[in-house]
Amino acid sequence: MPFPVMHSLTYFLIPNLPPDAYQKVLETYGLDKPLFERVQLYVVNFFKGDFGYSYKYFPKTPIELIAERLPRTLMLFSVVNIVAFYTGFFIGKVLAWRRGSKSETWITITSVFSYTVFYPWFALMMLWFFGYKMGWFPIGKFLYPEKWYDAPFDSDVIFSMMIKFVVIISLLQFAAYTATRGIEALSSRRNVRFASLIAIFIGSYFYWNTGEALARKPYAADIAYHMILPVLVVTIVAFAGTALLTRTTMMEVLKEDYILTARAKGISQKRIRDRHAARTALLPVVTSFIFTIVTIIDGSVLTEQIFSWPGMGQLLLQAVLEEDIPVAMAAFSFVGVFALIAHLIADISYSYLDPRIRVKSQG
Amino acid sequence: MEIDELKEKNLQKQLRKEAIRRNWKLFSQSKLGMIGLGIVLFFLVLALLQPFLFMTGLWNESIYHPVVGYDQIIEKKLVVECPKDYPTPKYETYLDCPGDGEVQKKMLYLAQGVEVGDMYDVYLQPAPPSTKHILGTDSLGRDVFSQIMEGSQVAFVLGLLSATLGVGISTILGTIAAFFGGRIDAYLMRQSDLVLMLPTLPLLFIISAFAELKIWHLAVVLGVLGGLGGSVITIKSQALQVKVKPFVDSARITGGSQRKIMFSHVLPNVAPLALLFMVFSVTGAIASESVLSFLGLLNIDMSWGLMIYLSQTDGFIFSGLEYWWLILPAGLSVTFLAGGFYLVGRGLDDVFNPRLRKR
Repeated sequence: MPFPVMHSLTYFLIPNLPPDAYQKVLETYGLDKPLFERVQLYVVNFFKGDFGYSYKYFPKTPIELIAERLPRTLMLFSVVNIVAFYTGFFIGKVLAWRRGSKSETWITITSVFSYTVFYPWFALMMLWFFGYKMGWFPIGKFLYPEKWYDAPFDSDVIFSMMIKFVVIISLLQFAAYTATRGIEALSSRRNVRFASLIAIFIGSYFYWNTGEALARKPYAADIAYHMILPVLVVTIVAFAGTALLTRTTMMEVLKEDYILTARAKGISQKRIRDRHAARTALLPVVTSFIFTIVTIIDGSVLTEQIFSWPGMGQLLLQAVLEEDIPVAMAAFSFVGVFALIAHLIADISYSYLDPRIRVKSQG
Repeated sequence: MEIDELKEKNLQKQLRKEAIRRNWKLFSQSKLGMIGLGIVLFFLVLALLQPFLFMTGLWNESIYHPVVGYDQIIEKKLVVECPKDYPTPKYETYLDCPGDGEVQKKMLYLAQGVEVGDMYDVYLQPAPPSTKHILGTDSLGRDVFSQIMEGSQVAFVLGLLSATLGVGISTILGTIAAFFGGRIDAYLMRQSDLVLMLPTLPLLFIISAFAELKIWHLAVVLGVLGGLGGSVITIKSQALQVKVKPFVDSARITGGSQRKIMFSHVLPNVAPLALLFMVFSVTGAIASESVLSFLGLLNIDMSWGLMIYLSQTDGFIFSGLEYWWLILPAGLSVTFLAGGFYLVGRGLDDVFNPRLRKR
């Protein structure tokens, strides 16, 4: 460690520790070397992915701790984002369409409230209401330990399985969507898409009821049950930003001439809204979504802390509170890399949405 | 020459006044903006009221001080003994005993010679709202209303300081990037891309792990982070638009230096956008402060986040609405002040962004 974080070692340093043992502790962590050398070592080890040892969980390295918690975070993060983004986009679309009506004022006020609400407080109140008063959802953690006593595998197996499942489902859905893009007639395209949705649904039903997955189903259901409340709360808070932005861009798009043309052609209102206006309005929303990924990561750290979801964010926060500096630095670097990768994915998907910025192959 | 200059100054003053009046008229047309302004002014009054009350002696500092104040609120309660079996004629379940105005004898094991049926003085903390304490007291006997006032002082100082700092930095950097272009521009843009992608909250956690953050430090950190971030890009694009306007060309032709053009021709035209950013970044700063003190990472005497932290660690959050004065005021204050600044920003957006005006 390059930094003089001696006070974090108070876990090991008893006041009347013999001097030679003290020296030994210093040597174990390499703190007896000069500062410059420590910085050099730290930077070199940083790029090797070696963050040293955790002070609290001593024999474990930060990388091991992160590897244990990453699937849980990925699962919650991806589901929360997809749900929140679609809800926000849909509500913003409807809001802009019904401009000036009374319901619009109310929904705008609600969105502003949920946009500016103090998130930890709100989450605690929701936790109190749904978890404690109503008793519908579990209050904390990501599983009931009593159900897992005789489980032949640990929770990460289930988590990686669920992540795979969600990814494959969304890829299939995306593939079906792109494949049917070429069909001109609206009604037949809609029917094909509906059929593909049903096929995916039936397929996933069979998947969960056969072979290995059948034995794991109750455990997966347990995790899914624990995920409902966090997803709900984050959606309530996060949809507003997307909704307000969609509304603003939609309102500008609706003033364009081609919307008027579409109206004059006699296209149905719903089709103008969904195909002509919302499609164009999606671009700035996705741009802003790329920039708010950082905010979402911030929010997921808080979500994990409040719902005691033992993921990366909670690891980071606990490490900071207990001054477990190696783990904190490792988790922070990891979150930073995570943000970069999320940016990259969003950037690539952006080119699918906007044909104008696609890179054309020459020749 | 002298007279002309005076005349010109007067004219400028008049124009400025007119512009302010016109903008105010536009701003007051947006209902949401006025609501936001009202909320912000309300909290400003709260923040300024507390020192006034202390100075005039209306509030005794030993009772009402938000951090070290203490008020002994005594309630006379009837000593009872709870029965072993329920229901009895007086209590239906074990939850009803002791009832209102009653205290269990078991709890008074330290008091000597107290019999069932006596009246006993009980210190009531947290005390419910009364005329003396408008929002009651917390579990340490401190006045909640005074804490709210202190919290709004903290929020205003932090929000305005960090927003001013951030907007100052980003305006200057954005104008420089637009003006000089080339390598400086490229460097500044990449830097702001990087800061934009940095997860703010984890970064603040890490900083608070290495150093004890006070409110000033947090304001500087938030200001610098906000100032290097995405607002540089937006302000640069605005400055680029201003740079090609005819009056900048004519200023250059008449021999104005680079610095003169930058500071007296371009900056004033970028200022409205900067003001908008400032108002929006106040919201973020207030939220960050509350989150950090909610998690107990900030070295601070009293703030709204800390109040929620205390009510959570004392276990009042899950008591439902029985102790509402410990839970609701602080959380709603954060929400409303942040929302107020946000709405003011929306109102200003209507003023400076003519495309969004009502048809």
